[in-house]
Amino acid sequence: MMLDERFFEKFGVEYKTNEIIFCEFEPGNEFYFIVSGRVQIVKVISNREKTLDELNKGDVFGEMAILEEQPRSATAIAMEHTKLLKFHRNNFDALLEGNPQLAYKLLVIFSKRIYDAKRRLMILLLDDPQLKVMDVMIMLAEQDPKLDLQNQITLPITSQQIASWAGMVDMDVQKELTHLARLGKIDIYGDKVVVHKIGEFQRVVASKRKSMYS
Amino acid sequence: MRQTSTTGIIPRKYKSGSIIYFEGDKSEYIYILKNGRVILTSVKLDSGEEVKEDVRQGEFFGVKSSLGRYPREETAQVIGDTEVLIMNPSDFERLILRNVTVVLKMLRVFSNQLRRIHKIVRSVLGDESEIKPEVELFKIGEYYFKAGFFPHARYAFKRYLEYYPDQNYAKAAMERIKSIDSGQVSPEDMDSDFTAPVSSSKPAIDDDDGFSFDEPGDRSEPDDMVDFDDDAPRRRSSGDDEGLTPLSSEMDDFLSDDGTASDLDDFSLDDFADPKSSSSVTQSLTKAQALMKSGKYSDAAGALEGIIKGPAPRGEEDRKSYETAHLDLGACYMKLGKLKEALEAYTATIKKMAGTPAEKAAYFQIGTVFESANKPDKAITYFSKVMNMAPKEEINNRAMKKVRELQNR
Repeated sequence: MMLDERFFEKFGVEYKTNEIIFCEFEPGNEFYFIVSGRVQIVKVISNREKTLDELNKGDVFGEMAILEEQPRSATAIAMEHTKLLKFHRNNFDALLEGNPQLAYKLLVIFSKRIYDAKRRLMILLLDDPQLKVMDVMIMLAEQDPKLDLQNQITLPITSQQIASWAGMVDMDVQKELTHLARLGKIDIYGDKVVVHKIGEFQRVVASKRKSMYS
Repeated sequence: MRQTSTTGIIPRKYKSGSIIYFEGDKSEYIYILKNGRVILTSVKLDSGEEVKEDVRQGEFFGVKSSLGRYPREETAQVIGDTEVLIMNPSDFERLILRNVTVVLKMLRVFSNQLRRIHKIVRSVLGDESEIKPEVELFKIGEYYFKAGFFPHARYAFKRYLEYYPDQNYAKAAMERIKSIDSGQVSPEDMDSDFTAPVSSSKPAIDDDDGFSFDEPGDRSEPDDMVDFDDDAPRRRSSGDDEGLTPLSSEMDDFLSDDGTASDLDDFSLDDFADPKSSSSVTQSLTKAQALMKSGKYSDAAGALEGIIKGPAPRGEEDRKSYETAHLDLGACYMKLGKLKEALEAYTATIKKMAGTPAEKAAYFQIGTVFESANKPDKAITYFSKVMNMAPKEEINNRAMKKVRELQNR
């Protein structure tokens, strides 16, 4: 494996416990590979810090920086003393040339990202705000393989998050959620939504999508 | 880690008109079109328009949905009698890691696609999502500041000043840093009804463990050694191939296929040559061999890989050095105890150097690899092969000795 001492000398960075590696909304030009330690990915949502993921040795993060300079979508924090390899977008090609394994890992990550981005685009292309809100819930339900879509499901999500997925204003999302709750389709709590029959949402959105182009 | 069967790569024939998979199907399989014709039909997201696409011979299909673990986005239908190779993600990984250029090509295509989709997403969102990163970054700082996480707050404010020294909140950020550094944060600055950070369950989609690549323990496991069989090299010229699976020859046929145009969308495994400038092969080899002599095998391996991936050799001397570099690379990996890599190096040698002395030497060394992996049967197969390879020379005798030695164990 190429990730030997020599490699670390060139690209290695170390972080102490609780140190920020990068912060949500700062410009991103580098991506990281975890040599040792643990990294927490968090996001501040509705004035709360939410953990999105915990990453370990061998994981890659910040990979969207490879594509273009975009603000970071989340904050990365070292959970313990952590050693990382840090790669700038500019030496990406040279790096991967010597690291097919790393390239392969990115291939897998990008496969997922392409699907997620397309899935989100499908939501954005719906023209009815209520359908958009429903489709965000469908998407989140589909992403969690532990959920049984035949039964009532609970999605850990706020109206603000739905708004950001659907490209809507929070207030409009709240209006749609209230409407759906009044129809008895969902129950709304502060940080979660209970959907009684997600299958029904899927049918409604699918049939609308079909008719959109005909 | 996801459980995947390790049955290897399977050839399958389809009758004209058959469907290999439907849009919406869930399956982990990846395909290569070996011969015949496959049409992929998908629906464009923005226009609802139906798009048909021909898979070229030697091309992969079904890759993204397999690796990303989501339903198929297109329907794959066969036209005319067609043969494909089917593999699971681990077979696919093993196969393409042997050729970096293919991984890089795919990665380039995938990142272009992703960039394109992001662009559409941004254009659809338009003004609706007028989030100013500058304002948001300051807000993050404020969040941590009010929550009493001063180092985090300090980081965000500091970044703010670095990136946006002339923006609206620069002064406020500076003030915050000052008060953090002085250790004097007034109580009214802090949010009294601050809610402690909470953790939500982590999303399952990020389970990448199956692809961690720093698992040295894996290398010497018996299972992995069995996999060597799939990688077993095949001699192109002679018909004497007992002990080597038909499947490996199938793969070799495929690997030797030169593919088609070097279009970005072309994922076929084309040849390894990658013209790049560097010093002469022989000079580089001398340096690498010096590293080997001083025991720096890891460095030497890096240098040798550089030679191998470098420009094709010109002239007799460089050509010889190029051959030697392949064999030396295998030797380095042997020294480092990386049997799998050694095997790969020797396999590559055989592929590229058919009919040369290097080919024979590589077969001999593969015997040695299996010998150190404690697989005497496999080792004997390879040594016997060398024993019988023309012309009869010293290495044939050494191979014969090895065979006797192993048989008497």
